[in-house]
Amino acid sequence: MEKNKEKAKVLYDMYSFASQNTIISYTGPFDSQVLAVLAANIEYSLSKNPRIRKKIFKIFIELAQNISYYSLEKLDAGDGNEFGIGILIIREFDNHFTFATGNIVDSKKISPVIHKCETINLLDRDSLRQYKRKLRNLPPGIKGGGNIGLVQVALTANNPLDYKLIPLSEEQSFYIINIKIDK
Amino acid sequence: MEDLIIEGSHKNYFIPSVNFNSKTGICELSGESFLEDTVEFYKPLISWLEQYIDGVKNPIAFIIKLTYFNTSTSRCILDLLNILKDYEDENGEVVVNWHYDENDSDMEEDIEDYIIDTGLDINLIPF
Repeated sequence: MEKNKEKAKVLYDMYSFASQNTIISYTGPFDSQVLAVLAANIEYSLSKNPRIRKKIFKIFIELAQNISYYSLEKLDAGDGNEFGIGILIIREFDNHFTFATGNIVDSKKISPVIHKCETINLLDRDSLRQYKRKLRNLPPGIKGGGNIGLVQVALTANNPLDYKLIPLSEEQSFYIINIKIDK
Repeated sequence: MEDLIIEGSHKNYFIPSVNFNSKTGICELSGESFLEDTVEFYKPLISWLEQYIDGVKNPIAFIIKLTYFNTSTSRCILDLLNILKDYEDENGEVVVNWHYDENDSDMEEDIEDYIIDTGLDINLIPF
């Protein structure tokens, strides 16, 4: 009985956190069907503000694809395809929106990503555009992606990339990226 | 030489509309571009342009009306524009007109970045 109460409390805490100011929240695999539903939700929920809708949509595609490709936790779709699992929360405040994603990563492989975030956060807008052009002229990563996604996210949001890494074990960490988009 | 026509759609992925006309040399790319395999989709567009440039050798008017494209598409657009720039450098006649929403300053920056990157004179046409 006590245990059930505890579980209910955890669920309620999750609910209160996830529902506060939240427009869209999702946890699970990031396969193409889920992406389509979330994309449609973004278009619908933000239809009053086309400028913000477009920005959030652009950020969504890049970060959702990152989860789909790079999350360590995968869903086997059974048809030879695998989709990364993660969490996404879009929230609205008085003067800004926040866009946060989280997923489990291989602790050994995350350092280039952290390095990229740090580099991005040091650059002003013009230098960031220059950096994007430089990366775009290098060979692409998997599925033609990688490399420029985070730079594009920072340019679109016009704010630094606020990231955190929570170690889960020696091999795994939880990687969170939180983006602010001013209204 | 045949025309290259692809009908666009907005489903799980967003397929842009393609209309490359071998008689008029008017090549239009419009809609939204977010694809399952971006490189695979743009391969025929690249080889069509290369064939046209090698065989037909007529002027090209390249019209872009994309309202959205993801970063992997942005690499393929760069490839297309670089082919056009090479053609221009070999005395081919090339006009690039890029139509964009005047409220979309991010898109305007993207086009400016392509001008810097390729050295092509891209005409920015707000709507």
